[in-house]
Amino acid sequence: MLKWGKKLLFFLFYLFLLSVLVFVISRLSPGDPLVSYYGERAEKMDAQEREWAENRLGLRDPIPVQYVRWLENALQGDFGISYKYKMDAAEVIRGRIGNTLLLGGSGFLLIFFLALWLGVFCAWYEGRWVDRAICSLGTVTSCIPEFWLSLVFILIFAVNLKWLPSSGAYSVGKAEDVGDRLWHLILPLSIVVMTHLWYYAYMIRNKLLEEVRADYVLLAKSKGLKRSKVMVKHCLRNVMPSYFSIMAIAVPHILGGTYIVETVFSYPGIGTLSYESARYKDYNLLMLLCILSGALVLLCNLAAQAINERIDPRLKAGEFLKEPGVEDEGRGV
Amino acid sequence: MREEEFEIVGARDWQFQGPQDRKPARDAKERRQQRRILLTWGVFLLILLGCLLGGLFIDRDPAYMDLAHCSVPPCKEFLFGTDEMGRDLFAMVWHGGRISLFIGGVSTLISTGIAVIFGAVSGSAPKWADTLMMRLTEILLSVPGLLTVVLFQAVLGKATVGSISIVIGITSWMSIAKVVRTEVRRLRGSEYIIASKCMGGGFFHVLWKHLTPNFMPAILFMVVMNIRNAIIAESTLSFMGLGLPVQVVSWGSMLSLAEKALLTNLWWVILIPGMFLLVTLLCITQIGNDLRKSVNRRHSNL
Amino acid sequence: MNEEILLDVKHLSHVFSLSKKVRIQAVDDVSFQIRRGEIVGLVGESGSGKSTVARCVMNVYRPKEGEIFYKGINLCDRKEFREHKRMLQSKRQFIFQDSDSALNQRMKVWEIIAEPMKIQHVTPPRGTLRAEAEFQMHLVGLDAGYLDKYPPELSGGQRQRVAIARALAMEPELLVADEPIASLDVSIQAQIVNLFKQLQRQHGFSILFIAHDLAMVEFLCDRVGVMHHGKLVEMAPVKELFEAPRHPYTRSLISAIPIPDPKRERARKTGKEMDKEWMDA
Repeated sequence: MLKWGKKLLFFLFYLFLLSVLVFVISRLSPGDPLVSYYGERAEKMDAQEREWAENRLGLRDPIPVQYVRWLENALQGDFGISYKYKMDAAEVIRGRIGNTLLLGGSGFLLIFFLALWLGVFCAWYEGRWVDRAICSLGTVTSCIPEFWLSLVFILIFAVNLKWLPSSGAYSVGKAEDVGDRLWHLILPLSIVVMTHLWYYAYMIRNKLLEEVRADYVLLAKSKGLKRSKVMVKHCLRNVMPSYFSIMAIAVPHILGGTYIVETVFSYPGIGTLSYESARYKDYNLLMLLCILSGALVLLCNLAAQAINERIDPRLKAGEFLKEPGVEDEGRGV
Repeated sequence: MREEEFEIVGARDWQFQGPQDRKPARDAKERRQQRRILLTWGVFLLILLGCLLGGLFIDRDPAYMDLAHCSVPPCKEFLFGTDEMGRDLFAMVWHGGRISLFIGGVSTLISTGIAVIFGAVSGSAPKWADTLMMRLTEILLSVPGLLTVVLFQAVLGKATVGSISIVIGITSWMSIAKVVRTEVRRLRGSEYIIASKCMGGGFFHVLWKHLTPNFMPAILFMVVMNIRNAIIAESTLSFMGLGLPVQVVSWGSMLSLAEKALLTNLWWVILIPGMFLLVTLLCITQIGNDLRKSVNRRHSNL
Repeated sequence: MNEEILLDVKHLSHVFSLSKKVRIQAVDDVSFQIRRGEIVGLVGESGSGKSTVARCVMNVYRPKEGEIFYKGINLCDRKEFREHKRMLQSKRQFIFQDSDSALNQRMKVWEIIAEPMKIQHVTPPRGTLRAEAEFQMHLVGLDAGYLDKYPPELSGGQRQRVAIARALAMEPELLVADEPIASLDVSIQAQIVNLFKQLQRQHGFSILFIAHDLAMVEFLCDRVGVMHHGKLVEMAPVKELFEAPRHPYTRSLISAIPIPDPKRERARKTGKEMDKEWMDA
């Protein structure tokens, strides 16, 4: 119980530091937030108008004052308004996050199961031509920059073959149509999956191959177990826990990957939003986005840590097993 | 005793094929591997030399806009065709490669330098400072990479080749630093390090003479991958309009025209620079993998 | 033998705190002295704190209590240590138990031997650092052919010779040898101990020799201290200690030395049994 309290405290502390970091960097960087609020009108403003506008948005105060005000409001659940959309930042994100979660979430699940299957498949046929072919293909796909693969897919499937739509999350006027949304999801989703899949599948494959060479496999075989049974019941079982912890860390990684895909496909999600907000100095939106993604990363790290501790009790007992004198060596000499 | 009298039974039989049948198989495997290594290096050096020396042989100016020949598909005169502004893609690809590779190299130098020093300091610092420094890296890692790049880019002002290299460099050192720190923590209890400190070796002496050679194999693969990731980052940034402007030719900025090219279906504008990018990235990845394998092999022989 | 006291350890104590609750008293109120040119042995079972004493003497650990004086310089005082840093770092040298990890596997033998000279910017008296390394290797009985080898290519005994050569390169006054022979084969152990003895006669430095093999200590050392659970239970000239051990722990240690003579061995055993019977009665 105490441990979790401590973790929660750490978690909040991280978020605080992260918010300070993003706040300061974003304010220090040049660029005019008024442009994002007033659009082109901002460029024609005279000094007085500017001052009035900046006062209104609270941009004239020193940065610490601005930060404290932001923090006070944020603690009460008010993250300020988005300059561009002229509504609550939280509201803007709420409207978009579903799309990203759909794309990233379904991508994650697909990657999770496909990687598992592909890894076992390759380990099963280790060294045969199927394995070699898949390994080579996998290396190629993991090298392709996401944006370029998106372009090529659009070029092939949308522009030339005209099978699939090239942008957006749904056709005009069909926002409620589930089939249409899925239709629009195919291209972005296949890119998210293709660019990430091999990294994880390869990991499973290598871990399985390590496992297959362990002595207990010989024992299991000598007991007369079938090869498939040894592979699934023994080897895969030993690999699974570490796969879970790796996939926990992979969540933010894969979600981050969707950002670029979203931009290329003009898919209305968090990715396009964070890119816009950073570029056009939509401060409040940017802060909220950074904190959300930071929180996600931390949560996933904590989850991975918890899984690891459960698998390997040594990590938990780590404090007692450290070699003596660790803290002294740094100070001596 | 004759061999035929024995039948091998038991668990190992499926691994055991007898020394005679096994050797040719391994030879073939090794030969295949050797061929692949040769091929990778060959292609990579070809691209590298082409980019470095390309300017000597190509008389066309990559920035020259030949308005009479806009959007020409690949033909005899324009080997790779021209883009919408009438620039010759063949000249651009070689010129752009130089900048892309340069950015990859420089930003990796920067990030590796930061990572080694940060990781070594953190690894040899007392526990509280180490914890603090590692928390800092975790926070930096938790900010989405794209955002940090955009932010730093904004701080540094208008994008140039130098500023992009610096920005990519200072946003991509964290994971290497973590590995360096773990390695340093593992190594610093080694007796040769204690011995060196007893003899009066300072921080940088120990770092350079003892730590670096020992953790280099562990980070070598990551460093090579860092070159790859930097090239990807540059091209992605330029593509999104955050990196190099269209006038500065790099593979990334060439691809920033691609979205327009989609509308007019100029496939060569998208595919050709992309293929060059992809082949280069593949070669670098393959080199990294081979390095990792050879390092591991040597390690186990010690 | 010179009467000058080179090293003076006074009431040394050191505690390792493994966690908030678990503490280990590794060294508990240990005092002893080493005179110039003397070979002092420190024996005891593993975990008795011998190595910790050695590392405190070498400033690897900062002792929790007590003082260590080297030629009157208090090593535990940061300021005093810093003032005499250069001298201390070259005149005290350390030899480790495990020659495998004491030498950087990625350095050539001559680089390893020349490392202390390079760090202290000593101008090599024999021209180049490499020539100097060759000279030192000759002293410890290694061919020049090993100059360009890497440690993993050498045998355990050869590696230990390299470690000794590295220590000797700075012409030390005090050599702290932390179980230098424990990881070697018995035949090689004898060679290395002989080497120590011969080099000590040539150079006249002092040695703090840590071991758990009493036979070697008897052969090499002038005085021996016995450590048990962090305490120095007995310290005496070697002859005295072996002939008339006072502390029961020392007695049990000595009785555990195998004697390569069946008759004497048997006599000792029966003698012990008689003792027991006598005690029972």
